[in-house]
Amino acid sequence: MNPNETSHDPLVERALVALDLAAEHHLANCAPCQTEREQVQEALQLFGAANRDYASRPETFWEQQAARIRAARTERSQRSRPAMTLAPGLAVLMLLAFALLRRAPVAAPVQPVAQIDYDHELLVEVERAVQTATPLSLQAATLMVEESDSSRPMNSANSAKEIRSNEN
Amino acid sequence: METTLTPVLGAAAQRITAEEFDAIVRRHQRRVHRFLLMMLRDADEADNLTQECFLRAYQNLSSFRGDSSLETWLLRIAANLARDHARNRKTSFWKRLLGLDDDGTEEAPTLHLAAPEASPEQALLAREEVRAIWDIANDHSQQQRAVFLLRFVEEMELHEIAAALGLQVGSVKTHLFRALHTVRGKLRDLR
Repeated sequence: MNPNETSHDPLVERALVALDLAAEHHLANCAPCQTEREQVQEALQLFGAANRDYASRPETFWEQQAARIRAARTERSQRSRPAMTLAPGLAVLMLLAFALLRRAPVAAPVQPVAQIDYDHELLVEVERAVQTATPLSLQAATLMVEESDSSRPMNSANSAKEIRSNEN
Repeated sequence: METTLTPVLGAAAQRITAEEFDAIVRRHQRRVHRFLLMMLRDADEADNLTQECFLRAYQNLSSFRGDSSLETWLLRIAANLARDHARNRKTSFWKRLLGLDDDGTEEAPTLHLAAPEASPEQALLAREEVRAIWDIANDHSQQQRAVFLLRFVEEMELHEIAAALGLQVGSVKTHLFRALHTVRGKLRDLR
């Protein structure tokens, strides 16, 4: 093991990550670091090769996968075709609807209901009541009296005479 | 290994025919599938997401601007799918509750590539080292793992990794530096 590995540590990693002149310069003059770099590099190469080997598949697998992708692509494009066909029609319909809505007669603005001036009404009523001979509440009674008077005019004169004779 | 990068398609991608797309699938499916398999550690999910990756690519060909290679763009879609998949699996409450979530962990790749001249001890050490690196990669976050795998399995350049994962090259370097620091410590322990 490199006795100065702590101080040399990052240089090996730096040399492994990318071309680093400072790290390369150090490694060129430090045999233990160079050995370690080679060991790590070798292990990483084995790792890469093992993974590629592990992921390798027979040619038939790739053919089948390509066929599956082709089938799925065709299916998706067929599924989306009706939607694509309908899309322009829908767009036209929406435009028509929009145009119709814009051309429709605009409803006349509702006139605000004239607000009744209750105070004024009351004043007019009071005025009317003052000007009439009989108060409104007694109008019914007045009418009854007038009716009964007009139905027997003579009787009332006789009764007046009777009253006068009695006084005598 | 099919590492040849497809020439940049640019605007031509928008006029691609179904037959041309099939050729793209045949050319890039191995790398996309391998990346997804390493990321997910689940062969069935890798199959499904490889298919989904190419379907999305086909649907979004018009958005491919040709800033990067087509393969980098495909790996970016794959990385996003892997991230979403991991997120969904993490939040699968019922699976966890019912103990159905086996986290899809596959066995570490067995090393069949030991040099014929290697002694049994050397072969055993090599296997242990590969397993140790596999475990370290699995312990990392999704993004760190993706960076690590793209670098040491796919042997991609730093700027390609950055483009595939939507990162700055500096961030890629940082992820690699940290991962290598752990790997180096682990290998030291083994030796």
